[in-house]
Amino acid sequence: MLRDLDLTIEAGERVLLVGPSGSGKSTLLRALAGLLETADAGELSGTVTLDGVAPGDRPGSVGLVLQEPGAGVVAATVARDVAFGPENVGMPRAEMPGRVASALAAVRLAPDRGAVADSQVLPASGVDEVAGLGGAAGAWPTSALSGGQTQRLALAGALALEPSLLLLDEPTAMLDAENAQSVRAAVDEVVTARGLTLVVVEHLLGPWVDLVDRLVVLDEDGAVVADGPVRETLASEGERLLATGVWVPGAPAPTPIEVDPALVTRASTRHTESALAATELTVARTTRTVDGVATTRVAARTSEPLVVGAGQLHALVGPSGSGKSTILHALAGFLTPTTGRVETRTGQVVADLDPAGLAAHVAWVPQWSSSTIVARTVLDEVLVTAQALGRLDAGSETRARALLDVLGLGPLASADPRQLSGGEQRRLAVAAALFHGPELVLADEPTVGQDRHTWAAVVGLLAAYRSGGGAIVTATHDAHVITLAGDRVHRLTAPPAAPGPRGGEPLLAGRGPLALLLGSALAVPAGVLSPGWRPSLVLLGIQLVLAVSGLVSARSGVIAPLRALLTRLVPGLLAAVSVAWSTWLLGGRDLALAGNGLTRVLLIVLPSAVLLPFIDTDRLGDQLAQTLHLPDRPVVAVSAAMHRMQSFGQIWEEIARARRIRGVAATWRRPATIVGHVLALTVGLLLRALRSAAELAVAMDARGFARAQRRTWFHPARWTWGDTALVALSALPALVAVAFVMVVR
Amino acid sequence: MPRSIRATAPLMAWRTIDILTITFLGAAFGIAYWGWGLAYQAPSTALTTIFPPLAGITGAPWLIAGVVGGLIVRRPGAALLCEVVAALVSMIPGTQWGFTTLISGILQGLGAELAFAILGYGAYGLAAAMFAGAMSAPLEAVYEWFVYWTDWGWSYKIAYLVILTAAGAVIAGGLGWVITRALAAAGALGAFPPGQEAREARAV
Repeated sequence: MLRDLDLTIEAGERVLLVGPSGSGKSTLLRALAGLLETADAGELSGTVTLDGVAPGDRPGSVGLVLQEPGAGVVAATVARDVAFGPENVGMPRAEMPGRVASALAAVRLAPDRGAVADSQVLPASGVDEVAGLGGAAGAWPTSALSGGQTQRLALAGALALEPSLLLLDEPTAMLDAENAQSVRAAVDEVVTARGLTLVVVEHLLGPWVDLVDRLVVLDEDGAVVADGPVRETLASEGERLLATGVWVPGAPAPTPIEVDPALVTRASTRHTESALAATELTVARTTRTVDGVATTRVAARTSEPLVVGAGQLHALVGPSGSGKSTILHALAGFLTPTTGRVETRTGQVVADLDPAGLAAHVAWVPQWSSSTIVARTVLDEVLVTAQALGRLDAGSETRARALLDVLGLGPLASADPRQLSGGEQRRLAVAAALFHGPELVLADEPTVGQDRHTWAAVVGLLAAYRSGGGAIVTATHDAHVITLAGDRVHRLTAPPAAPGPRGGEPLLAGRGPLALLLGSALAVPAGVLSPGWRPSLVLLGIQLVLAVSGLVSARSGVIAPLRALLTRLVPGLLAAVSVAWSTWLLGGRDLALAGNGLTRVLLIVLPSAVLLPFIDTDRLGDQLAQTLHLPDRPVVAVSAAMHRMQSFGQIWEEIARARRIRGVAATWRRPATIVGHVLALTVGLLLRALRSAAELAVAMDARGFARAQRRTWFHPARWTWGDTALVALSALPALVAVAFVMVVR
Repeated sequence: MPRSIRATAPLMAWRTIDILTITFLGAAFGIAYWGWGLAYQAPSTALTTIFPPLAGITGAPWLIAGVVGGLIVRRPGAALLCEVVAALVSMIPGTQWGFTTLISGILQGLGAELAFAILGYGAYGLAAAMFAGAMSAPLEAVYEWFVYWTDWGWSYKIAYLVILTAAGAVIAGGLGWVITRALAAAGALGAFPPGQEAREARAV
């Protein structure tokens, strides 16, 4: 990656590091942070010293902010996340709130009025107790932050350890203009106020030129080719920078390259009519708290019909969180809009199409291009949908190779697509979406992360596709692409947040995770000991009464929590029935025996369905470490992983969608495809999990986690009277079961 | 057969990426387990109708996290932690088996861990994977005798143990090995011994 690199950065200098993709910029940043061996493999020689010592020697002396917002988020609330570094270096708890507050103030991160109150969704209860520690930030969920806020949170997390050097790895690459500006402003302010040394890696130089004083340019091989004051270097090296594909400020947009439309057009289906017609759409999302209280909010809406004609380019624009991706999902039929319709040229509702029909009609370039990968080689990846649709012919492979050549992926044709860089994968996703000649392509940020050369190739390819009659709807922040769309720009605005549920909470809200686990565990002896189905029914009755009294509250009424509980119990009911079934088959078809099996399983499962969803993962970590004294580092890792449960579920869904729209979804008619499908989904999910773990490892080690021997904890873990009561009441059925056993004897 | 590459010495010195990888893999498997919990009902009922202990076949996929965790990170405790996190994650949204999921996770993870320990944390080929898959089963099977299959006769209980063990070897062990290879081939295990093995295999 990097070779013979020699670089000295003086204290207080602000350096902008640029170079083509693959030049080792990120590697150099990790080397500066002393984290080269955290998640990378390879040969390493040479040293990095910071004020004469290795950068890892004082944890937190180098602050690092990564490209992907959220990649380094450790905790569920803002205050706890900022406190992660201080926890790792063993700072006394009393000092932490002050440190957290000053770091948050430095990046101007404070919740909007209402954001905290509205987010008081179960089971993040115990909020009052927590809020006392971190102020409003103590109850501010990290999941509610915008991309720009999340990057400023990462900055605050670094500042909490009072670094002398700040490293930013393309911190605004994934943000819209407004959010990106908020991050740059925060960087400028803290670097000035604290006199920090700054190294920024960026490929979009313009906005950073005024913030830095020195420019270092790397070439493809990772060697320094230019180094000097930023304006002089830009002036003298501008041509060379342009030639390597760097986005030099002030330079005109690159000219899209000419691509032969035949590469991405099927002669037999040259489209002339409209590809898609959507009325005004509203997509609403309903979330339910554990006690069944529903909150419905509009996730996205369009304010005008969207009729996409052949050859047209439509751009969906708006800040992050305005629902651009959601509208694309609705156009692809992945989700059914709450109001409005999306129809194909022939009047079919898109969501009703079968996989083959959908793949023939619509293609998708997702935001995460790695999730659409379905083939083992780059070439097959391009061919796979055409193959699924029976559209391969003698010239297909030649065309596919030509298409890859256009995108600079020709030499990689036989490589494993999962091994490509993010930018390469995105280009591959574009090629794979266009090759089989769909009528419409839905592209989510297709140009993000491309240098000038590859940008020109992608945009040229899209233009060729349009000239062959293809239609495009793209969600984009790219000003050049928006210009190309002309007056077909649809501006989305972020829908207002829905107010959270109001009123009293159920008794179970705010109970400690250990008490909830223990309460569920106590159901096991009750089930195992119960001497038959009649006593089991009594015990189930007790459990139900306890469940109702724990779940019902003024805000939820009685029906909603019971309905939610019943939904969570469905798997348990199925299990109970299957145990009863096998017992009945075996036990001489004796109904009483079957009844024993059925009620026993229900007894064991019911309390878990009531209690476990109330577990708060951060507080679980607090209690495992402080109450049970389990080792700190694994406990932190378990909470961090449990945080991502929800996003892992979404990844699973996204991969399934991608396979469907690529025409490779499974069908029940061929059971072998089901096995392949499940395996592909699992491996896809694991790959994403592995990558997030590697990213987070870098972020955590940058905040002193590698050497955290004696951690302190921002929040104390308290066992409350409520917890004791919960455990005592949960023990009741088990005790009654013991009594039954003694009576039977 | 080439010898397996061990984790960097000392074996107990877990790096941050080791711990996070195990818990993240566990969480991902937990999601997959939860999905399998919804999908397995039909095949399971069909098998039970033929011969009840055949339920061991559809039970085996739940043993896979421990095997994969052990195969990737290769440190003492990796298999156990991975399976326990998977159980915890699949349990919270509400599974068929409630809290007993966690008990099962611990017993299954212990079994796989024991297998890797017996091999001295030094063998991670297909045979070792199948051994770990098989070893994940016995503790779990015996535990299930007492909680779920109380009304079965001994012949059925033994048959269940044997079937779960065999299915564990093939499904959890074999498939776990295949998945690990696929992840290494995708370049996702660069920081771990299987990634190193994949690189060396390519270099040859």
